[in-house]
Amino acid sequence: MLKGSTLQGCIESVPSAYPLTLKTIMVAVLALLLALVALYVISRKALTTRGNIYLLVGLPDGGKTTIFSALTFNQALPSHMSLQANSSNVTASSGKTVRVVDIPGHPRIRDQFREHLQDLRGIMFVVDSNSVSRNGAAVAEHLHLILDAVTSIPPSQTPPHVLIVAHKADMLKAATSSTASETAVTRVRGALERELEKRRVTQAQGVGMDGLGEEGDRVEMGGLETVSGKGPFKFTEWEGGDITFVGSFVRAGEKDDEKQQNGISALQDWIAESS
Amino acid sequence: MLDHCSISHKGGFVLWSRSFTPEVAQTASSSSSPVNSLIRDALIEGRNADDKYDKDGYTVKWTFVNDLELIFVVAYQRILQLTYVEDLLAAIKTLFMKLYEPFLTTFVESVHAISNGKVAGKDSAVSWNFAEAFKNWDTVFDKLLRNFEEKAAQERKSRYRTAAPKALVSDSTPPSDDASTIPSAALPQDEQAIARTHQALKSRLRARGGARGGRRGVARMDSESGRDSVHSSDTETGKKKTKTKVQRKWGDQVPTEEDMASLDFSSDKPNDAGNIGSHDLQALVDQASLGTRTNDGLYEVKDWEFDSQTDEADDVIARTMGSQVAEQSKGSLGALGSFFARFTGSKVLTEEDLKPALEGMKQHLMKKNVAKNIADKVCEGVGESLVGKKLGFQTTGNAVRTALSTSITRILTPKTSTDLLLSIRTKLSTPVPSAQQRMPYSITFVGVNGVGKSTNLSKVCFWLIQNGFRVLIAACDTFRSGAVEQLRVHVRNLGMLGVNGATNSKGRVELFERGYGKDAAGIAKEAIAYGKDNDFDVVLIDTAGRMQDNEPLMRALAKLVAVNNPDRIIFVGEALVGNEAVDQLTKFDRALRDFSSASGAGKGRGIDGMLVTKWDTVDDKVGAALSMTYVTGQPIFFVGCGQTYTDLRQLRVGNVVKAILSD
Ligand SMILES: Nc1nc2c(ncn2[C@@H]2O[C@H](COP(=O)(O)OP(=O)(O)OP(=O)(O)O)[C@@H](O)[C@H]2O)c(=O)[nH]1
Ligand SMILES: [Mg+2]
Repeated sequence: MLKGSTLQGCIESVPSAYPLTLKTIMVAVLALLLALVALYVISRKALTTRGNIYLLVGLPDGGKTTIFSALTFNQALPSHMSLQANSSNVTASSGKTVRVVDIPGHPRIRDQFREHLQDLRGIMFVVDSNSVSRNGAAVAEHLHLILDAVTSIPPSQTPPHVLIVAHKADMLKAATSSTASETAVTRVRGALERELEKRRVTQAQGVGMDGLGEEGDRVEMGGLETVSGKGPFKFTEWEGGDITFVGSFVRAGEKDDEKQQNGISALQDWIAESS
Repeated sequence: MLDHCSISHKGGFVLWSRSFTPEVAQTASSSSSPVNSLIRDALIEGRNADDKYDKDGYTVKWTFVNDLELIFVVAYQRILQLTYVEDLLAAIKTLFMKLYEPFLTTFVESVHAISNGKVAGKDSAVSWNFAEAFKNWDTVFDKLLRNFEEKAAQERKSRYRTAAPKALVSDSTPPSDDASTIPSAALPQDEQAIARTHQALKSRLRARGGARGGRRGVARMDSESGRDSVHSSDTETGKKKTKTKVQRKWGDQVPTEEDMASLDFSSDKPNDAGNIGSHDLQALVDQASLGTRTNDGLYEVKDWEFDSQTDEADDVIARTMGSQVAEQSKGSLGALGSFFARFTGSKVLTEEDLKPALEGMKQHLMKKNVAKNIADKVCEGVGESLVGKKLGFQTTGNAVRTALSTSITRILTPKTSTDLLLSIRTKLSTPVPSAQQRMPYSITFVGVNGVGKSTNLSKVCFWLIQNGFRVLIAACDTFRSGAVEQLRVHVRNLGMLGVNGATNSKGRVELFERGYGKDAAGIAKEAIAYGKDNDFDVVLIDTAGRMQDNEPLMRALAKLVAVNNPDRIIFVGEALVGNEAVDQLTKFDRALRDFSSASGAGKGRGIDGMLVTKWDTVDDKVGAALSMTYVTGQPIFFVGCGQTYTDLRQLRVGNVVKAILSD
């Protein structure tokens, strides 16, 4: 608007050798306004564009690097504990290219995932479905961190999709009634809901150390709120959005073949759908 | 006799590995494999400048190529004390890089998302044929290893055969003579070419991959010649001889033609990196030499913690590097070359470049009260991770600062859960057999005299009471007069302070005391039993302060731990402590482990974490926190920061890192 009026001012101050009709001025102003609106819309779009990054997070030895390798190289390279993150551009079956980032799982360096929060489109939390009943507490602690980070993403940003990957399903025996993948998912879901509920209760009852003092500059970790505001914690009732589960496996050392494709096909579909 | 050898990328990909024994082969992909243990216990803990790592009877040695983010690892039985491992590692590194550098460069780019998805698509599955790419390596490796092993065997023999002048003569003949004994005319040539390349690469490597190979090599040689001198005159030739011998032996066992072909890396022919044509490679390489660096920053930097303080930290480095600029311009190309290198972002960091910056950082850390040898090790580790990296468009100071802050953050970040409340609740809610009573959660506080054990134990007690637990304090300091009375006062105070929430008819806190001079381990045991019978949730065990060098007292403490097996052993130390921190913690930890395992309670228990007191008195000189976490590898559970019961805090890693780096 401002620009429009100054423009008009300019034009009027021009010695009227070519008398301008009101109509031409109106057209000029309108065109300018239109341009401004278009610019605004485009920049708005740029601001709210969702990120393009899919993170692989989870405890060490969960299989993140193996999945990354399957996505990037179409084969499972043997791997050891990661010391740094990997990232690659992967073309999903939908044709879209997304960036997959594999964050090391070691507690001392796993916080690196925070560097990518602004550009996040999806988080894949990889759980070893064989050991989850043994170290459920540690898995839940990590997942809690992630969920807390996801829920504290500012509302101006589209929240990322969350996928929990019940990995290494090949090592589970398929029950008669369900596939190995389903068994893995059930197991992981159950163990995590139990452990997260423990954390939720502890937090609800607990007085943090910082609550003792005057300053209380620290907000308690959240991320476990349910829609109903009550327990027990269920993924289906998580306030932060939808959480999807898939079972998966990748056999290390195996080359790309039919079997391998099936192992992470659900995960790949999820990427394709959510990208 | 090696057990395991592997070549891998820091992202976790194993490019090539071989296990020589079935035992190692079995564990190779488990988390307890030598390589995984090395990464977990040494590299991630910031001990990457260490000489070696011992685990389960294995010795593990390693070396980096920082530029391409590779790790070379060799593991062998500790009792073997192989002397050639470092040289072997250096040779493996040199050869592997020489043979596969283009392929490796492409690979590293692909895990930094530089290749723009071209190779990532479905249709390009063939592009990544790793087996094909490294197919020659097995032969090369075998040959290399055989050379080293034979050399070692010969050395051993000649050491025992003291009266063997013949061996000595043949050993000290110059290379050219040796060559004449080989029938084939083609061989000497190749052999020398190889020797030359080997030598050239070795020196080049020293500049790029860190001087660990070189430096250690010399150190080892020294000790070896020391040993040798006992046996024979063999040692006169000392260092040099061993070196030349490595090269000369290359052609000794008359290799097959195929062998030679595979070893013929002296000519600079384009090598067969998988199915990717050299054409493709070239394109990728060029495109990348600029981008890698900017991308690299992404993985090293943790800037979000520093936003407010970046400038200050920058200043520190800038100042501590006063003489740096002059140093840097001394390259082989002179000032101009170096200028261009920086301008194009292709400057490779050398040890000389880093030295002043690292020295400055070390001084800075020590000013922040970090113990001297911890500062040493941390900076050495940072240097080790930077040598050979391309600088990109940042200054050396910037690179060091970033790497240092990453390293410090890593050391301070707990690797185990520090959530005590959750841990207590979990234990209390774990179902026990119906006939049995629930055991209370027990925490033992240990430390030297006068650091504030009892005071801070009371703070922890207050916090636990606030969280609704019933707490029993066991007065196991039966040594210092007044200790029991002091606790009695605390318990009275705590009992009178209001508690949030519902009041329990029974007291929230009680003191368990048995006077002075008695056996502390016994009192603790009684206290836990009393706590169990009277439905207490937590038992806090106060122990007598003791000097870490007082063996009888340390044994007594270990006995207390072994007898009662507390859920947590917390070391209480002052934030004021400087170099002493290392000695105190090392000795407490070791004494607990050694003596408690000796007294039959199975595996020794060490310190589980720390409580740092008098935090409020040190301002930003919080180096003790770094020293303590580095030494033990364990987290700081609490910091005590004042005189009242509420002056207890949890450590914020980000703030500590800032404080340590701030000016
Ligand atoms: N049986 C089986 N093993 C798997 C599967 N996926 C991965 N593994 C193995 O699990 C181990 C760990 O895999 P990684 O991918 O390195 O684990 P990570 O999650 O990247 O671990 P960090 O990098 O330490 O966080 C490797 O030895 C793999 O071979 C699977 O689907 N099935
Ligand atoms: Mg990994």
